[in-house]
Parts: sequence; structure tokens; C-alpha cells
Amino acid sequence: MVLVLALLAMAPPAPTAQAGWSVQELMQQLARSRPSEARFVERRYLKVLEAPIELSGRLLYVAPDRLEKRTLQPSVHTMIVDGDELTIHEAGRRKPRKLRLQDHPSLWGFIESIRATLAGDLPALERFYTVGLDGTPGDWELALAPRVEAMRSVVELIRIGGADGRVRWIEVNEAHGDRSVTQIFEDSR
Amino acid sequence: VRPAERAAVALWLAFATLCAVLALRAEYSTDLSAFLPRSPTPAQQILVDQLHSGAVARIVLIGIEGADPSSLAKLSAGLMRRLGKDPRFVQVENGSSDILERETGLLLRQRYILSPAVAPERFTEQGLRAGLERQLERLASPLSMVASRLLPRDPTGELFEIADTLGEDSGPDRRRGVWFGREGSRALLFAQTGARGFDIDAQSAAIAAIRSAFEQARRDAGVPSARLLLAGPGVFAVQTRNAIKNDAIRVSIVAGAAIALLLLVALRSPRLLAIIVLPVATGAVAGVAAVDLAFGSVHGVTLGFGATLLGEAVDYAIYFFARAGATSADSGRGLWRTLRLGVVTSVAGFGALLLSGFPGLAQIGLFSATGLIVALLVTRWVLPQLSPAGFEARIPAGLGAALQAATARARRGRSAAYLLLALGAGWLLAAGSVTWNDELSALSPVAASDQRLDQEMREDLGVPDVRHLIVAGAGSRERALELAEEAAQRLRPLIAAGAIAGFDSPALYLPSESMQRARRASLPEPQQLGANLQRALSGLPFRDGVFEPFLLEVAAQKRAPPMTREDLEGSTLAIRLDSLLLEGNGRWQALMPLRGAQDAPAVARALGGAGPDIVLLDLKAQADALYRDYRRRVLTYSSLGAGAIVLLLAAALRSVRRIWDVLAPLAAAVLATCIILALAGVQLTIFHVVALLLVVGVGSNYTLFFDRALRSEVDPQRTLAALLLCNLSTVIGFGAVAFARTPVLSAIGVTVAIGAALSLMFGAVLTSGGGRGTNRETQAHR
Repeated sequence: MVLVLALLAMAPPAPTAQAGWSVQELMQQLARSRPSEARFVERRYLKVLEAPIELSGRLLYVAPDRLEKRTLQPSVHTMIVDGDELTIHEAGRRKPRKLRLQDHPSLWGFIESIRATLAGDLPALERFYTVGLDGTPGDWELALAPRVEAMRSVVELIRIGGADGRVRWIEVNEAHGDRSVTQIFEDSR
Repeated sequence: VRPAERAAVALWLAFATLCAVLALRAEYSTDLSAFLPRSPTPAQQILVDQLHSGAVARIVLIGIEGADPSSLAKLSAGLMRRLGKDPRFVQVENGSSDILERETGLLLRQRYILSPAVAPERFTEQGLRAGLERQLERLASPLSMVASRLLPRDPTGELFEIADTLGEDSGPDRRRGVWFGREGSRALLFAQTGARGFDIDAQSAAIAAIRSAFEQARRDAGVPSARLLLAGPGVFAVQTRNAIKNDAIRVSIVAGAAIALLLLVALRSPRLLAIIVLPVATGAVAGVAAVDLAFGSVHGVTLGFGATLLGEAVDYAIYFFARAGATSADSGRGLWRTLRLGVVTSVAGFGALLLSGFPGLAQIGLFSATGLIVALLVTRWVLPQLSPAGFEARIPAGLGAALQAATARARRGRSAAYLLLALGAGWLLAAGSVTWNDELSALSPVAASDQRLDQEMREDLGVPDVRHLIVAGAGSRERALELAEEAAQRLRPLIAAGAIAGFDSPALYLPSESMQRARRASLPEPQQLGANLQRALSGLPFRDGVFEPFLLEVAAQKRAPPMTREDLEGSTLAIRLDSLLLEGNGRWQALMPLRGAQDAPAVARALGGAGPDIVLLDLKAQADALYRDYRRRVLTYSSLGAGAIVLLLAAALRSVRRIWDVLAPLAAAVLATCIILALAGVQLTIFHVVALLLVVGVGSNYTLFFDRALRSEVDPQRTLAALLLCNLSTVIGFGAVAFARTPVLSAIGVTVAIGAALSLMFGAVLTSGGGRGTNRETQAHR
């Protein structure tokens, strides 16, 4: 018994869903949250690199469909998703790249994993993913597995964790072995 | 019937048959280049080539409207799938995939040949280090997903360079995966036909194929409300032909019926009605035969205009049957003398076009000159044989007298007429009220609404209207590509400076062999590259062995044979290449359309020292200048023709007074017509000038008859009635043409109808008859 308890304590947080706690409720909580600004730290574990790259910057979300990711370190890049349009400003490039999400389904799915989660938009999530939920309202974790083969060849699994209707971290496991973990620190108000 | 007369009829029959055979066998062309100068400048030649066979002339713009966006997208995909398989089209695009996505494999394989950044210093230790650092930065950018996958093969980032060069950022809006217009209510596609834009039959077949593919797609998708919209040069050429055909049929029926009725009332003989067309018909086939013999082919426009100019010949038969200008004593000799002078003046006027240096105009000149002479000869020698002996049209009692009285009254208004004309002329000159439409598009018989549709779809699609084009011409494909590369080198700084947004070039898809050699030579030998890379990697966080694929592929590329057109076969790159690299008459031309040329003079400066084989063209300016030049020449030669007419009349009439009498009403009619057109806000084109030539041709007959009626022993009432009959038939005929839907035809119709009516009026008002003396002379005769 002691051994079991010890094992439980050592195990990574593997919360099991509480009775009466459903994806719908989580989504409602998420949908209630207001425009939010946050600092982020992202670590990219890339197969080609010996050590992870660390990026940091700011995230801004304006419900329902605008999301800005402003990377400040190690170099300045901005990625803005607004509706169907993705704009990427790269450091050292004069003209921004503009893409329509509809033209790039995999990219769209990837963006939606974050945006639809922040919006609490379950149908949008389920359009691309099989959604699994674990944990409690105070410590939850979504597991998003791509539905479509084309997207599975890019992304294997996306995990999003948080508490009290707020997103705290995102982990993306790419199909060919790269992985990134983003921590989100919301501004205290 | 005397033998001589029978011989005349037999001769006519033989001649008409011969001409008809020639006309049937003649080659008819619709090639607009006939209306371009015979010895074009190189720039004009390129314009002509573009009109002929350029990609620009082969584009069909397709729009789908009238359903919700998802149905439109479905229809767009259905149409694309069907047309993609149709051999009539070399390219069909609906935006569902762009060149980078579709050809990633090919571009990646040939990256060291296609990337403009490949140079020896890119593969030195420093160069590789810089490249690796750039990639490291990309790994920390939003593009990291793509960058980390490409990195092991492409650490110098050549694919990114290619992507930037072929830059497709400025494409049309896309919704649901396909191109849409800005309002989002119209799905857009474009197709490029294999056939030339002016091959109207092939274009017609291609358009029919698009329509039927759309019908099928619409049935399959179950969206009956959806509509298909088509534009583009080929579509317009087909529409124009159909519109002109429809117009011609409708106008001929209406005008023919009205004129036939008029003549039937006047001549009271169905048989005469039948033979009255013989002079014109013979003249027309003779004109066609002459043009075919002289030029080797007959242009469609020649037929259209020439036939119009022959309108004058219809009058000959009327004058003959109405015995205009004849006296009982001279058995018609006076009539012929007057008509002969009329024909000679007209021939002088139209004949001037022969000298213009434009095959198209010269054809019109030859056609009408031949046609008029033949028509007169047939009227003179054949018509009398075919008409009932002693026939003459009966003039309704009272009509002649009324006309004579009206003419006499009209002459009192002379001073007022001169005053009005002077005022009008002053207004025209002072206010610069005559406006010329100097845009080539004014020649376009395409309805304005269709031109707007074309413009809209073009803008939405971002199809270059190829206004600014750099052309590099050479004797070989290689040399043309090399010149294009030289031009590209001069253009690149301009992109950075913002003078142009970008450019396309055949050398982007197939670099010249020398450029390929240079790029391949930039790649170090495998061992050297490995060593350089090893040193470059020191201190960077890349894992060992990651770049194995890079080393292998560079080694393979170094040994690879040159890339050729065949390597691109079946790809989007091949299509682009073929539309930008043209061969003709042993010459190769590399076309480099500029995108977003803000500062054309800067481009011209940048190309300044590049030698005469690289030319910057502003095609719109070229085309408009060409047209302006054309209009100027038409005016010059028309003025020369007018001068010739004056000289001829001077020689024939030998009296300043009479010359004035004959010419003043004509000049007045032309001037007044111009004033009326200007008042109506019409911008003049060369079609108006040609129409005014016809006014002079028709009107000179009126004034000559007026002059004659007033000066010799002819029956003025009969002559006046004949003139009125001719005038009515002309005004009815061209009045009907004025209602044609084709702008060109209606411009001619309006001008001639107004001008002919005015010629008769001014003939009545201004022909002085040299004062009372002549009037008395005529009175005495009666």
C-alpha cells in the first residue's frame, strides 16, 4: 500500500476525470474568460538540435477568433491569426507572409487546437480532433488527437493543460519526432 | 438588241463569274495585324506577336456566380477537373494549389539549379555558417515546422530563396480552397487555350467546351441557379464575330425591306428591284477579287468597311432609272458624265488610303475603288440592256414641283446656314470640342459592360495585363535566357527599392546552360564541402550527422546533367516557361512581365546599358501610340484624298464658282456632322473618319447633280426627286446600321445617316446656281 502511494506520488500528474466534470463544462468555463494577455515560454525539442531552443514573448487572445503570438526572444517574430487569415512577420523580412487557413488544413488544425480551446469552441475542436479530457476543474488536461490522416502526418498529439478555465501549458508532439512545450503565465490583474 | 450590247452583257456575265470564283476561293483573314504598319518597329512587332499568339491573348477568364460560396467552390472544382483533361487547354487554374505546394518535389530536387542565391561563397565555411545561423533562426520562427523538416537536406535554405523569387504572396483571395473575387460572390478560374487568341473557330470551340463542362458540373452539383461568366480576348473575338453577324443579318433585313419598299413605290417594278442590286453585287465581288489578287488574302474588316463604302453604288442605278440629270436630247449622256465625275472623285478619296502604308487600309481603298468603278460600268453598260425598253421611273405628280419650291425657299437660308456653320466651326476649334478617343480599346467592338467584367476579373485574379514587359530577343534559346538573366540582375535592386513589386522570367524556370554551369560550379567537391561544413558547424547546436542528406544530394547535383525543358515536362513550371519563352522565325524571345511597376522610368534607367536586345515595353502606351499614329495617317491620307477631289473637280468644272458650289455643301455637311457628333459628346475614332469619307462620296454625287440641274437643260424636278430617293435609301440603310449593337457599326451608321441627310440639305441650301442667270436658263428649258 505504501508502495502504491509512493508510486502515485512519483507518477506525473495523471488526473482522472471527476464525476460530473465534462468537456462541455470545461468549454463553458473557457468561453467565459475575457480577453487575456500572457507571457509565454516555449521550449522546442528538435531532432536536428542537441539542445532545446527556448523562445519567449507575449500572447494576446481576443475572443472569439484573434490570436497574436509575439516572440521577443531570441528574435522578433509575430504571428497573427484573425479569422481565416494568418499573417507572419519574420525578423529581417520586409513583407509579411499571408496565408489563408482554409488553404492549409494542417496548419489550420494546429492553430485551432489553441484558438478553439481558448474560445471554448468544442465543435471547432472536434472538427479536427478527437477530444479527451482528464483531471479536475482545478487541474485539467485535454488530449487532442488529429482525426484526419493528412494532419496526423504532421502532428501526432497535442496536450493542453490548465486550471480554473485558464490554459497553462500546451505540448505539441510532431509526427516526425519534434516536440514543443509552451508555458503560459497570465498577467495578474 | 444590238450585238455590241449583247457582248456587253456576255462580258459582264463572264467577268462577274470570274470574280465570283476568285471571291469564293479567296482567303479571308481576321488577323488584326493587317491594320498594323507594314514595317513595324521591333516594339510594335512584339505587340503584334502578343496579339497573335501571346499567352495574354489566349487567356479565358472564367467566373461563376449565383450560388452560395460552398456550391461555387464545388462548381469551380468540377469545372477545373473537366477542363484539366481537355486537350484544347494548356492550363487551367482555380487556385486550389499553388506552384510551391504542387511542385515542392521538383523544386527541392533542382534547388541548386533554380535558386538565384547559389554562388561559390554560399558553400565556404563562412557561407555555410551564415546559412546554418539563418536556419537556426528559422527554427525559432513560426516557420519552424517546415524549416526543421527541410534542414537536413537544405541547410543553406535554397527552397526558401526559390519561394521568395517565385513569390506568390499577391495571389487572388481564396475561399474554400479556390479563388474568389473580392466580394466573395464569384468564384474565379482562368484557362489558357492552346489555340491563338485570334483563331476564332478554335476559340469558339474552346468556349463551347467550357460551357458544356460547366453545364455538367452544374448538373452534378445540383445548383441550377449558378451562372457562368466568360471574358478574355478570345471570348471577345468570338462574341464580336457573333454580334457582327447578328447585327449584319438584322440590319440587312430591316434596311433591305425598308429600301425595297421605298424603291417599289418609286419604281413600281419588282423586276427593277431585282436588277438594281446587280451593279453593287458585281462591284463587291470584283473588289474582293482585286484585293485577293493584290494582297493574297482579304481581311474581314475590308469586307465590312468596303461593303459600306459601296453603299454609294446603290445610288447609281437609282439615278439611272430616275433619269436624273438627263435631258431628252442627250439620251442620258449628261447623267453618265455627272456620275463618272462622281465616281472619279470618290475613287480619288478612297484611293488615297491605298498609299497609307497599312495593308488593312490599303485593302479598303482598293476594294472600294474597284467596286465603285465596276458598279458604274455595270450600271452604264449592262443595266440598260436588262431593263425594259424606254423605262423610266415615274415621279409622283407634284413631288418634283414641291421639291423645287422647297429648294428655292431653302436657298434663302444660305446666310443663316453660313453663320451657323461659322459659329459651329469656331466652337469646335475654340473649345477643342473634337475629342479623339486615342485608346486602342476604342476600336474594340466589345460592349462596355463586358470590358468591365474583364477588367474586374483580371484585377481579382491578378492576371498581369502585361502592360509593362521586358523583352529579350536573340537568335537562340540559350542566348535569350542569358539576356533574361542579365535583365533580372539589373531588376533585383529595383524590387528592394520598391520601384517594382517583382517580375517573372523564363530563366526562373529554366536557367540558361551557362547559368546552370556557374551554379553547379559553385558547389564544392564532396570532400571539400564536408570539411567546410564540419568547420562551419563548430559551436552550433546541431546534432552530428544531421546533414548527411545535404552532402549526398550536393554531390549528386554536381554530377547531374544540365536541366532541360524535358525535366520540367508536365509541371506547372513547364507551362510558365512556355508562355514566357517564344520562338518565331528563328528568333527567341524571353518575355519578362513586371508586377506592380510603380516607377517605369527607373526600370528604363536600370536597363539603360544593357544593349539593344533588351527592351522595356509599355504595351498599352505602344498600342495607343500605334493607334494614334494610325488615326493620324488615316486623317492625312483622307486629307490628301480631299485634295485630290478638289483638283479633279477643278479640272472637270473649270470654274471657281462651280467648284465652290460642289464643294461648299460637302464641306458644310462634314463640318456639321462633326459638330453634331461633338455636341452629342461622341469621341471620334477612325471609324468616324472612314464614315465621313463615305459622306463625301455620296454627297459629291448630290452636289454634282444639283450643280448640273441648275446649269444645264435637265429636268430639275426629276433630278431632285431622284436625289431625294437616293438620299432616303441611304438614310434608311445607314439609319438601320445606327441601331446595330456593335459600337463600330453603329458609329458608321450614325455618321453616314446624318452626313448624307446634311449633304442633300446643304446641297439644296448652298448650291448657288451662279445667281439668277442659271435659274432662268433652267426655267427657259422647261
